[in-house]
Amino acid sequence: MQAYVGETLLKRLIVFYIPLFLFVAAMLFPFYWMFITSIKPDFELYNVRRSPFIVSQATLEHWFYLFKETMFARWAWNTFWIATASTAISLFAGVLAGYSLSRLRFPGSATFGISIFITYLVPPTLLFIPLASVIANLRLLDSPWALILTYPTILVPFSAWLLMGYFKTIPRELEECARIDGATRLQAMTKIVLPLSMPGILSAGIFSFTLSWNEFLYALVFISSPQQKTIPVGVVSELMKGDVFFWGSLMAGALLGSIPVAFVYSFFVENYVSGMTGAVKG
Amino acid sequence: MAHEAAQQRGETAPGRMRRRDFLAHTGKAGAAWAAVAGTNWLTGQAPAFAQERTLHVLEWSSFVAPADVERDRQAAEFGKQAGVKVTIEHINANDLPARATAAIEGSTGPDILQLLSNYPLLYSEGLDDHNDLITELGGDEIYQFIREAVRDEKGVHRGVPNFFGGGANVYRKDIFEEVGIPGPPDTWDEYLEAGKKLKHFGMPVGQSLGHTFGDAPGFAYTLLWCFGGKEVDEDGRVALNSKETANAVDFLKEFWSAACDEGGLAWDDTSNNRAFLAETIACTLNGASIYFVARNDPRKVAPGFADRLGHFLIPKGPNGRYHGVGPFTNCITRYSSNKEAARDYIRFVHQDDNFEKFLLVNKGYINGPLPKWQEHPMWEEDPAVTIYRELPKYGRNLGYAGPYNRHSSEAFAKYIIVDLFAKAVRGDSTQSVIASAEKELKNIYEG
Amino acid sequence: MKSTSQSVPTATSDTLEAGARLSFGRRIGLWLENEAVLGYVLMVPALLLIVVFIAYPFSLGVWMSLTDKLVGTPGKFVGLANFAKLLRSEIFYQAAWNTVVFTIAATVIKGVFGMWLAILLNRKFRLARFTRATVLLPFIVPTVLSGLAWLWMFDATFSVFNWTLKWMWQMEISVFGMALKENWGYFRGPLWLGSPALAMFSIILVNAWRGLPFFAITLLAGLQTVPPELYDAGDIDGTNEFQKFWHITLPLIKPIAVVVTVFSFVVTFSDFQVVYILTRGGPHNSTHLLATLAYQLGMTSGNLGEGAAAALFMFPILGLVILWQLFYLRREGSD
Repeated sequence: MQAYVGETLLKRLIVFYIPLFLFVAAMLFPFYWMFITSIKPDFELYNVRRSPFIVSQATLEHWFYLFKETMFARWAWNTFWIATASTAISLFAGVLAGYSLSRLRFPGSATFGISIFITYLVPPTLLFIPLASVIANLRLLDSPWALILTYPTILVPFSAWLLMGYFKTIPRELEECARIDGATRLQAMTKIVLPLSMPGILSAGIFSFTLSWNEFLYALVFISSPQQKTIPVGVVSELMKGDVFFWGSLMAGALLGSIPVAFVYSFFVENYVSGMTGAVKG
Repeated sequence: MAHEAAQQRGETAPGRMRRRDFLAHTGKAGAAWAAVAGTNWLTGQAPAFAQERTLHVLEWSSFVAPADVERDRQAAEFGKQAGVKVTIEHINANDLPARATAAIEGSTGPDILQLLSNYPLLYSEGLDDHNDLITELGGDEIYQFIREAVRDEKGVHRGVPNFFGGGANVYRKDIFEEVGIPGPPDTWDEYLEAGKKLKHFGMPVGQSLGHTFGDAPGFAYTLLWCFGGKEVDEDGRVALNSKETANAVDFLKEFWSAACDEGGLAWDDTSNNRAFLAETIACTLNGASIYFVARNDPRKVAPGFADRLGHFLIPKGPNGRYHGVGPFTNCITRYSSNKEAARDYIRFVHQDDNFEKFLLVNKGYINGPLPKWQEHPMWEEDPAVTIYRELPKYGRNLGYAGPYNRHSSEAFAKYIIVDLFAKAVRGDSTQSVIASAEKELKNIYEG
Repeated sequence: MKSTSQSVPTATSDTLEAGARLSFGRRIGLWLENEAVLGYVLMVPALLLIVVFIAYPFSLGVWMSLTDKLVGTPGKFVGLANFAKLLRSEIFYQAAWNTVVFTIAATVIKGVFGMWLAILLNRKFRLARFTRATVLLPFIVPTVLSGLAWLWMFDATFSVFNWTLKWMWQMEISVFGMALKENWGYFRGPLWLGSPALAMFSIILVNAWRGLPFFAITLLAGLQTVPPELYDAGDIDGTNEFQKFWHITLPLIKPIAVVVTVFSFVVTFSDFQVVYILTRGGPHNSTHLLATLAYQLGMTSGNLGEGAAAALFMFPILGLVILWQLFYLRREGSD
């Protein structure tokens, strides 16, 4: 951290507080808008002559609609479980691959490292058309497993990269001491390196969970029945309809769909930063 | 008031049928369908599977909300009779094609896909043969323009058109009067004059030219036809580049800047509904859904708003009057493991009594697949929507004047004709927009 | 994999002689003591996922792009016809160009503003933790959902921005001048999603809004690794803030900056959600990106072969990025 001794208040206002305030305002305005839209009754929402900033008769009807007329609770559960399972799979694969690539010397490790790295440059939008037929052949269409198994392909490269950096920050000597004491390589990894790498693993986990929670294209293409949908797909396909769309409920759904990840982050943001810092140092 | 008056007129006017007469008139056919449909689930081996059978139907989400409710009710009723668990899923019509692609490619998903306009041709390889069902449910009596939209090159019908919707212009009678427009315009030139006044007043014509399924193509294609332009000729050769097309483009350029809300370039099918109800536009091409909401949903509009609305047909151009009328077609998928139940379901919704209920709840928003539904007294009940029954007279399908095939659906899916006009109103030269649209069409039709 | 089979017997034979008969589990354990074996074994889960769900679909995609596959048909080999067809289509050129403009503009905005925000967040201030959590919000919420909020804010009729502009006009603190005043009757404000240039601006804005926090937080992590002593040395020399940033901070955080920029470049280049929600490619394809074009061709007009070909056109540029990054990594590694 830098110390800013001798900075005048005016200077601090101009170079720091005002820009920061503008950043925060710009980042948060759409959320304020979601909220205010979600509590407006329709006749206020669709009236251009009223100030859109003011709600005179706040209502929760749009929020109730979400739960009464759509399967929102079900989508939330699907999203949560798909995100959790795919995060677990990617952490498992990412930790092992990251450890292997950063700690173990074996022929071809550089090639493996590069190939994992390359895969994160092959985006879903390039793959979804053929991947849909792979998923269909595996008889996984319209099943949560279609997503649980495909999301890790987006997540593993980044997790492995982040963890490789983190593992490198842990002194080799610790592991070697343990091995002299009779621990196997696997034990040294699970008992010594992994516990020390928890911040990095947590960062990778948070990152993976967020990406899975947010994913849209695969969920849109692979999932069709309403009870299998995730929040992003459910909200878009079941509320963007009718003669004027359900704007109030759309915004309520958008907010509700954002809260769980926001909650996770508010606890872990410092951890995320320090985890990334660890990875970067290495 | 208007409602009562209409009913009285309907009862006193000579030669007009009442609801009961109408049913008696068409009852025989209905009974026959019911009998055919009935045998399929009341006899045979079906009961053995009765408990497990499910039927998944994917439909659009109607702009007239009670229509979805009635659909769901009928599906439940059918389910009870047939011992099938029917699920109807209503989604945004813009998402139907992508879902159809995913379902057909993966051979899993809905048993019945509702496809709009000529989309059944695009998916013909994944859809069942419906020729027998078509014959059973009306055959040649079904309007030609909707039957052709579902019949592929091999002569196989890939679905059964359930109903069709089309647009007429909904307008504000009070605003027209206020700005001194004598009456609903009959020609595009009159419409232009009216539009100028409306825009000057501050409530212009609202028209979508965005990437969306209904209003934008419904406007762009018909405008083209009214001026004599066409995508392809009778032999299916691209024939867009013509003087007539240029006239249509030139006309719209003027019309757009002089009469329209420029926001239309970003509109989807719901935007004009919202704008009209929010009183920022005075006229727009739409199905009867705006009127329906104005009449039936007091929470969305000011009191008496519906009485200020009227409808008029798409104006006449040098080549006459046209309406784009897209059928909504139930298509049984080839992979469905429940085709018999799916056919029964289609028979069920086409039964006279069921279809009548559906027609009534839509209050003019949809038209039936057979000409006899145009005789239904419902059309007389509310004079504001009577005009919608005229649409079949001017009905053309997308891809006119060519033989209907998957290429016309592809041109529709790529918004070629919509973008032809959208580009022009943004200031590109008439020749260049036609040339580039022609190039895309040749890419589509001639590979 | 050949090297594994060769190294296994030699490595384990010594230990096998020492302990007479070993149980199966014990033998596996010993086997895993070999560095190379363990190295390969630990790679298996990741490689399996990558082969089944990336490498195989990718080659399938290449095959599909060489066929005339329509929805519901197997398709037959047509060589490069799909690519040729795309190269004859103006829509394709437009989408390709849009993708380039979109990616470069959005990445630059995210980089510059993300850096700025990271520097701000690196200071000590009250509520620092809370502020970091809040600015991260746009990145963590599902893009389609925040995209919906933007769609509503950009709505041609109900835009809050345009309402505010109109209100400012009515308050006679207009910034637009007389030209608009004359046309006020049907002035709706800027067509955020309706005019080609503004629509492009809008999707760039939304993409940048969404991706900026990731830049900021990751760069913040980089900034925290810079030892404060370095700045003290700079103070003595009398350098200004910008010089300090340019000569001290930037070189030190360059590795992480490169990684985050490449990552963001790839994600932006292949973006789908923002356009899908906001414009669906309209008005007249002026916001179509390669990803949305591939979706339109493959999913909504049923030309899977052509759609796959359109998606593959993303690959050359991504390939260049991959090569550049590999080169960069190797150079860094040899330092």
